[in-house]
Formats: sequence, structure tokens, C-alpha cells
Amino acid sequence: MKILIVDDFSTMRRIIKNLLRDLGFTNTVEADDGTTALPILQAGTIDFLVTDWNMPGMTGIELLRAVRADEKLKSIPVLMVTAEAKRDQIIAAAQAGVNGYVVKPFTAVALKEKIEKIFERIDAAK
Amino acid sequence: MSKILGSGLGDFENLVKDGAVELLNYIEVGDFSGAIKKIQELSEARHNSFYNEVGFLTRSLHDAIRDFQVDSMDLVVGEGGSESVTKITDASDRLNYVIETTSAAANKTMDMVDSSVPVASELQSQARELRKDWSRLIQRDLTPQEFRDLYKRIDVFLSYADDSATTLHSNLNTILLEQGYQDLTGQVIARVNDLIRDVEEKLVHLVAVAGRVDSISGIEHKEKESEHDDTRGHGPAINKQNNPEVLNSQDEVDDLLSSLGF
Repeated sequence: MKILIVDDFSTMRRIIKNLLRDLGFTNTVEADDGTTALPILQAGTIDFLVTDWNMPGMTGIELLRAVRADEKLKSIPVLMVTAEAKRDQIIAAAQAGVNGYVVKPFTAVALKEKIEKIFERIDAAK
Repeated sequence: MSKILGSGLGDFENLVKDGAVELLNYIEVGDFSGAIKKIQELSEARHNSFYNEVGFLTRSLHDAIRDFQVDSMDLVVGEGGSESVTKITDASDRLNYVIETTSAAANKTMDMVDSSVPVASELQSQARELRKDWSRLIQRDLTPQEFRDLYKRIDVFLSYADDSATTLHSNLNTILLEQGYQDLTGQVIARVNDLIRDVEEKLVHLVAVAGRVDSISGIEHKEKESEHDDTRGHGPAINKQNNPEVLNSQDEVDDLLSSLGF
């Protein structure tokens, strides 16, 4: 299981990386916005995407839409971890096909819960 | 207000009032050349008062910009001793300093956590191992050789526990000291905040004068409502309790998503 973490702040990437490691996901890669994330995704080894919303260049919602529009990438589960908490934005993310939405500041428990829920759904759909 | 803005426009209004009376008088007595002269005078006065006002505003703006750069802002930031001392000279640099300082503190804190977690894990796993054999000792279930072994292991463990506690203690202290960034960045942000308030005050004057100019010259502006694009993001919501559009917690987000069939 290889996870791509996309956030423009290196400290936040590090926090998420450490929390994922505690959950047993040790294979992670990082990108600092959608523009740098897309080529990594297109290289085809990523199984799970964790992305922020508000980033310079390509934002998280744009990245999500790009992933869903790409025939090869569209089934990758996407978890959004972001400070964006407007009702309309969460609805927009849901419509764009997000698999989970965690608002910052978040707890380790919340992150774990959402990730587990996403995998449960994927397993149930199999 | 007109005192703050310079007296030009207030004087001009009085001049127009008085001039209008004189103008009427000229017309009533049939002195049209006098009337036209009065109109010219008023027109010139209008220009003059606008020039004065523009001059005053330019000076205010200039002062505001100058204050922006100088205004008691020479905070000295020392990094790594006295050799590399930098002077932060503008607000943008100050805010970059905040980003760098908070980032350095966050990383230092995470370094300490990263170096503490294995120590705590090792302590835990050694203690668990010993506990197993210790309970066998209590139940008198150990061979003499195992007992001698345990005897030595306890000694090694105690010394490891002592060292580990020292390491953890020192790491926690480093984490504690790192929180000093809040004081440093708080001071910088407070100063930048003062600056913004100062500039805002001056801009409000500018807008007030512009409004008076508009009202006298009869110019109307269409107000454009600029709506922020959700796609670009808004950043963390401040005062979210007062904004019905912003959700307050992960629970509210979960409720909304489940109402959408998630």
C-alpha cells in the first residue's frame, strides 16, 4: 500500500506521514501541490491519495477532479485533509467523488477512523 | 471630518453657498458680466480646493507609506549567535519570519517526538519481557539458571530505564523550550497588526475624502461584489461560530456527508 500525501506545508505532511506510520502505512510519498502530485499519480504506483485543499498551483479539489477524470486513476481512494470547512465546499468535494473528508485541526483518531472506513467500503464493494 | 481631511472641501461648500447668493444678486440687478465672473471664480475655487485636497491626501499617503517602513520596526533577530544578526525591515519579511519560526519549532518538536517514540517503545517491550519472567519468579516457576539470568537482566533494565528517562526528560524539555516561538511570533504579529490598523485608518480617511469628492462632483460608482471562488480555498475559518456557512467540527462534516449518502 503506497500512499501519496499532498500538502503545501512540510510540517503538515510530516504529521500525516507519522500518523500513517503509526497506523502501519510505512510506504508514503509526498508532493506539495496538485501540479507535482499528478505526475507521481500517473506513474501508476499510488494506491491511496491524501490531499489538502488550499495549495498554490493546483488545489486539492482540482486534483481530485483530475484524478476522477483520468481513466487510469479514477478508482484511487481520495481522503481530503483540509482546513476548508464551508458547507458548499464539502458538498463540492462529495460531488467530485471524495472518499473521506477530515477537517483541520484533526485528531489521530479521526484520521484513523476515516481511513478505516474507506477501506471497509472498498472491501465491501469487492 | 473635514478638519482631518484638510479644510479645502468644507471651505469650498461655504464658498458655493455664498457665491450662489451673490450670483443671484448679480442676475437680479441684471449684471451678467458680474455673474459670469462669479461663475468663473467658483469654478476656479473648485479646482483649487480639489488640488489642495489631492495635495493633502498625497502627503497623508506618503506619510502612511513612510511610517509603514520605519515605524518602530527594527526588531533584531539573532540566529546562531552574534555572527548572523538580521534586521527585519518590512512587514512581509516579518511574516516570513513567523512562517519560518513556526515551521522550525514544529520540526524541532517532531524531531524530539521521533527520537522519543523508539525509546518509549523499547522501554515498553523490555518491561513486558521482564514482567513475563517476573511473574514466573513470583509463581516460583524459574530454574536457578533462569533466576541468575533474570537477576542480571533486571540490573541492565534498571540502568536502561534510568538512561531512557533521562533522554525522555531532556526531549520533553526541548519541546517545552521550543514553544517559545509563540512569544516571538506573537510579538511580530502584534506589530504587523498595529501597522495594518494604522494603514487602514489612513485608507479610511482616503475613502472618506474620495466619497466627498464624489458627492460634490456627482460621480457615481457601481459597486462590484467580488465573490471568492471556493475552488481556490479560503484557509482556516476564523469566527466560524458566527458563520452559518462554515461547519464547526468533524462531527458536523460527517453529518453533512452522511446526509449526502456517504
